Amino acid sequence: MGINELDLKQDPACSEKGLSNYLWRDHPDENKWADCVHCGMCLESCPTYEQTGQEQHSPRGRVHLIKSVAEGKLEVNEFFSDPVFACLDCRACTTACPANVDVGGLIEEARGQIRQAMPLKGWQGAVSKFVLKGIFPHPNRLNAAGSLLKFYQKSGMQKAVRQTGLIKIMPDHLVQMEAVMPEVQEPVRKKYKNEQVLKAKGKSKAEVALLTGCVMDVMFSDINEATINVLRRNGNDVIIPQNQTCCGALHVHAGDRETGRMLAKQNIEAFRDADKVIVNAAGCGCMLKEYSELFREEPEMHDKAVEFSKKVEDISKYLHETGYEKPKGEIKTRITYHDACHLAHGQNVRQEPRDILQDIPGVEMVHMPNSDRCCGSAGIYNITNPEMADAVLESKMQNVPGDVEMISMGNPGCMLQMAMGVQKYGRNQKIVHTVQLLDWAYQKEDGKERV
Amino acid sequence: MAFKKVKSSDRHINQLARIVGGSSSILYRKEDLLAYDCDGFTIHKALPKAVVFPKNTIEVSEVVRYCHEHNLPFLARGAGTGLSGGAIPLNEEVIISMVRMKRLLSVDLENRRAVVEPGFVNLKLTNSISDRGYYYAPDPSSQYCCTIGGNVAENAGGAHCLKYGVTTNHILGLEVVMPNGEVIEIGKNGIPDEPGYDLLGLITGSEGTLGIVTKITVRILKNPEAKQTVLAYFNHVSDGSQAVSDIVSAGIVPAALEMMDKVAIEGVEAAAYPVGHPKDIEAVLLIEVDGISAGIDEQIRQILDVCRNRNVKEVKVARDEAERGRWWANRKTGFGAMGAISPDYLVQDGVIPRSKLPEVLSRINQISNESGLRIANIFHAGDGNLHPLVLFDARKPGETQKALEAGSACLKVCADVGGTITGEHGVGIEKKEEMRFVFSDEEIKAQTDIREVFNPKNLLNAGKLFPAPGRCAEVKKEIKAAASS
Ligand SMILES: Cc1cc2nc3c(=O)[nH]c(=O)nc-3n(C[C@H](O)[C@H](O)[C@H](O)COP(=O)(O)OP(=O)(O)OC[C@H]3O[C@@H](n4cnc5c(N)ncnc54)[C@H](O)[C@@H]3O)c2cc1C
Ligand code: SF4
Ligand code: SF4
Repeated sequence: MGINELDLKQDPACSEKGLSNYLWRDHPDENKWADCVHCGMCLESCPTYEQTGQEQHSPRGRVHLIKSVAEGKLEVNEFFSDPVFACLDCRACTTACPANVDVGGLIEEARGQIRQAMPLKGWQGAVSKFVLKGIFPHPNRLNAAGSLLKFYQKSGMQKAVRQTGLIKIMPDHLVQMEAVMPEVQEPVRKKYKNEQVLKAKGKSKAEVALLTGCVMDVMFSDINEATINVLRRNGNDVIIPQNQTCCGALHVHAGDRETGRMLAKQNIEAFRDADKVIVNAAGCGCMLKEYSELFREEPEMHDKAVEFSKKVEDISKYLHETGYEKPKGEIKTRITYHDACHLAHGQNVRQEPRDILQDIPGVEMVHMPNSDRCCGSAGIYNITNPEMADAVLESKMQNVPGDVEMISMGNPGCMLQMAMGVQKYGRNQKIVHTVQLLDWAYQKEDGKERV
Repeated sequence: MAFKKVKSSDRHINQLARIVGGSSSILYRKEDLLAYDCDGFTIHKALPKAVVFPKNTIEVSEVVRYCHEHNLPFLARGAGTGLSGGAIPLNEEVIISMVRMKRLLSVDLENRRAVVEPGFVNLKLTNSISDRGYYYAPDPSSQYCCTIGGNVAENAGGAHCLKYGVTTNHILGLEVVMPNGEVIEIGKNGIPDEPGYDLLGLITGSEGTLGIVTKITVRILKNPEAKQTVLAYFNHVSDGSQAVSDIVSAGIVPAALEMMDKVAIEGVEAAAYPVGHPKDIEAVLLIEVDGISAGIDEQIRQILDVCRNRNVKEVKVARDEAERGRWWANRKTGFGAMGAISPDYLVQDGVIPRSKLPEVLSRINQISNESGLRIANIFHAGDGNLHPLVLFDARKPGETQKALEAGSACLKVCADVGGTITGEHGVGIEKKEEMRFVFSDEEIKAQTDIREVFNPKNLLNAGKLFPAPGRCAEVKKEIKAAASS
């Protein structure tokens, strides 16, 4: 049933407002689409348009549809939901658009409306409720899930699953993902629970707080560890606020803005006393910087969120700006760099990570064509839209130079997806986080072998 | 993708779907069609009957034949960046989207030509051959996205067309599906200037009303040995335009010679690619010369002299490729940039004798004052192709109409000073009435007669390009045709 039929509208049909088919608070923002002049300069930047050639799957088309709902020309139904949820939220269009239209913001706002108009039902609803609401916001449960995963890997069950053919009954994309799942280590948040401050090595010049992230800390705690090492080595005292939580990006991408707001409030509170909030996951950093978007209708929180976002910085940019010691340890490798969407398009951080890599002795950088093209990971997109994610990944892998040994990047989601690409297309690159490589170089300098 | 059958209550939809390969190659639900209700010209909107995505010439031809036999109006669409409404389905057309036919079929460096499918994006051609030292010259500002098929249809121009000519000068051969589904080839083997009528010239620029282009042989050029780019700021438009005239009279043929006025500068500086143009100047010139290295410096010196003689406020030469790239990105995103200072814009496309620029700009200024709408001017100054951009807000009652009137008045001024009403964006829906500013009824009739030879049923992109007078006769004929079929 279309929502038109529910007749929930209060305004007379002739007024502009009354026409709108957005019926819940937190509407898509009219000013955002008013910037769009329908020029089409964004088309070629869009991976879903590249794959389909269909304009409802292009940034311009999506903006047009979102606007059409507000004009009452379209209802919030599955045909509207389809293009809106097929968007990777990669923000490449934001970079391409001459008029700076915030397509990503509009998409997220529209998803909020869709999820309220047509809540997920059946298994999708159950899974989404269980994972997004039941696990991510609760560090302990996430750790528990991590322990399970660890148990699964350590206990030989993984081997068993892989050998017995149990793996054959898992859906394809989960099988591929399972194959590249990193080994689970102890989350840093747990590890340093009793440490007030992790003191800088040598003279301290600043104190920073670290966002440990939810998935990041469970699956990639070694990257968090590397981040802490690198920060301390360069004169930063590091604190890890214990009451911080998941950034909420996955929820906001999925249209659950209510949970997003709840998490945002908790994080803003948790980092209240910090001067700098350092993030090593592009997706999280982008979300933190955009918290104010969630509070357009709560002026007081909005102001707090704006203040908060000023403190947020990606690790590579922070190091680049505050200065870092050039490592003397040599890592002889040919490497290429993949621009995570939420770093390049979301935060305009492009050169900083490259400079850092280039400062490591022995590293030879190889240019990747279209390096800022989405890899298809896009949060949990590779789970919700596996077909499109695969097609996008394939075109990404075609751009990875054949003769490099490593692919570096600044986002854990991309790391998993790219690892899947490497495995699927029979390539043999190692996937690393930029700060990991820097940390290894420092360790090597100190005489500790790592790679 | 697996073939999935379409089951619509409309049998035409089912048949068309069958031709193009199932549900992933056709759109027919209102929600999906909405994204196709206009192109870069947003003032007029209409929903198509369906959008089909053929993969090859055979499918295009079969779709066209089906439409022809069943009297379904149809039209071709590329990237939909057209600015005159050429791809808008006025008559509930079946839109034939060419974007999945996007292969580069062959590159023949020896004979300096390449063959592309119509959905191939303009800039991708240059990107695919630049490492071998070649490029494709026509460079409309929309080249990041527009298709070469669309360029042929509109005979697109661009900043560098001053020296190298517009699209028609670079087309060597075409494969065309005629409005009855027949496939013809013009300019076989890419040999230009065949004996007989210049059909290539006729199809190029026909705005998708004579046939659907399915394959294009284009000329490619060797990269110039050297290139230099200059930016010059002027306090007065008249000085800027005098400088343009002086450069051309000095015998220099720049590769590009572009101008923007104060409002346009405000727009590009507020948008995504600002380069720090001062806000208080009235005109900026972007001048590029290219060719063999010897002599380039001399040309630059001459250009700098000319600018200084015309009271230039500041003039500089691009230091490196990166700076040159930034200047061009700033200029080439100029239209879209208007989004940063106005919710909507209407771009006009007049051509004027260069010497009339100060007069024309002051009359446009007057139009702006009278209508209460701001007008920015972006100008391919070298060849006199002026783009007034009328800024308006479609949400305000009556403003769209005012913008249309202001745009039309600008074109009238261009025609009055001895110019014409379109340089490169085409007539489409937008300027069909304005055709009367430059053609008599007889002249228009002569042209619709030509169309009739190619497109007798007028099912292909009807209602574009020519104003209504023929309309009366045309409608009668359509009724007759429908009755007899
Ligand atoms: C920001 C911006 C800047 C622009 N700058 C320039 C510029 O500098 N110079 C310039 O000349 N134009 C410019 N344009 C206009 C536009 O980009 C050109 O007209 C371009 O050639 C249109 O190509 P398209 O693929 O988008 O075609 P569409 O808009 O999809 O179609 C345009 C017309 O071509 C027909 N057509 C499309 N494909 C075919 C085919 N295969 N066979 C037959 N007919 C076909 C359509 O029916 C329609 O009538 C600009 C547009 C924008 C939005
Ligand atoms: S989103 Fe930007 S680039 Fe895309 S059509 Fe709108 S204004 Fe143009
Ligand atoms: S965010 Fe990415 S996928 Fe979504 S519309 Fe923009 S370019 Fe396309």
